[in-house]
Amino acid sequence: MKNIKVKINNKTHDLAVRDSELLIETLRDRLGLLGTKYSCLEGDCGVCTVLLDGKNCLSCLILSADADGHEVVTIEGIAQKGGLHSLQESFVKNGAIQCGFCTPGMILAAKALLDGNPSPTDEEIAGGLDGNLCRCTGYIKIIDAVREASQRLKDGK
Amino acid sequence: MGLLKDFKYYTPATLKEALGLLKNARYPLVLGGGTLSLNHLKKAAKYPSDVVGLKKVSVLRGIKDLKGAVAIGTMTTIAEICASGIIRKNFPSLVEACSKSATTPIRNMATIGGNVASRFFWVDLPAVLISLGAKVSIATAGRQRVVSIQEFLGSKPPKKFILTKVVIPKSDCLSFYFRHTKTMVVDVPSLALAFFASLKKGKLSGVVLVVNTTVSFPVKLKEVAAAMEDRHPKEVSLKSVTQALNKDVEKLRLDEYRVGCLATDLESLLGIFSAVI
Repeated sequence: MKNIKVKINNKTHDLAVRDSELLIETLRDRLGLLGTKYSCLEGDCGVCTVLLDGKNCLSCLILSADADGHEVVTIEGIAQKGGLHSLQESFVKNGAIQCGFCTPGMILAAKALLDGNPSPTDEEIAGGLDGNLCRCTGYIKIIDAVREASQRLKDGK
Repeated sequence: MGLLKDFKYYTPATLKEALGLLKNARYPLVLGGGTLSLNHLKKAAKYPSDVVGLKKVSVLRGIKDLKGAVAIGTMTTIAEICASGIIRKNFPSLVEACSKSATTPIRNMATIGGNVASRFFWVDLPAVLISLGAKVSIATAGRQRVVSIQEFLGSKPPKKFILTKVVIPKSDCLSFYFRHTKTMVVDVPSLALAFFASLKKGKLSGVVLVVNTTVSFPVKLKEVAAAMEDRHPKEVSLKSVTQALNKDVEKLRLDEYRVGCLATDLESLLGIFSAVI
């Protein structure tokens, strides 16, 4: 077992994890953060996306021991002051959610994008979400939602 | 048991410690960014007893501007290389290869060392690194040596090694990277071509073209390079390049699709020559 100290959604956790434990297992099975989804487990689909030190990474390809000393944000950690994050509101408003399975990963990838580039072009939005697959929406509504969220965030909403 | 079978995971802080762990392990695996190795482990029949992670070995990270060369620590991520001002200034073809490689989250995690050490045919960076004349430092317990990337890939890998840095010589060069994919879903190239040359008195010099066929390690297009060598870029004709390509592909046994991709890339390259140079 490995003892790790990791900040998850602004709360520091001292955890004992198996050497071969993946971050997605720790988040879901130890901490009950079920917004991070299991799917391809090969790094192709993006539904297990988390922010690791602000960068969108795939929790199915990270050993929990390597998260020691780092900061992780999951979809449960981005809502602000009890309300939804601007990205979440824009996804709802624009119908960028159908089955919803890809949505946590999409929103976290979009957050990483907007944190680094507050005014992305549509091409940059598509590029920033290139690691996240959606089988329902056809992506158009998702790009619309991120574009609108970018404006809302700039307007301070 | 979880998604991975049990193994002992070590997270050394120094290279010396990492090499010591490797030396003493029965059947070890070195873990870089993890995007290739951890995936491989999920399906592996042969399983490591010990995994040595390199994420805490700080000496393996970062990009240094040396006199006449740039050194990239092997734990530097593809995204970090892409964003580096030093790399952007000196090696545009490497930036192109990095920016097209895989997807954003994979680029945030995957490392240049893993791209080379994994010895997968279809990864993006070896072809462009060979075209740029890059060398790699290989450390084993008690020994360190430097070889070209081509030599590293073309020979049997040493036992229990760690790649420590990739060094690329700087030169006033032209470098381009062309990449084809058949699908955007699993974004690996189906073919890629890296070009490098210097301009001496307005003529192409030291021309290197390396093709990543994705079915073998990258190979040089020697006939095409010879057809361009010592010529003014605008004097290189499509006819001579196409004839040379036909000679090169005879040895490569490429299918029609890949030969077509290469012909398109070379035509684009000549277009760049006439438009820019």
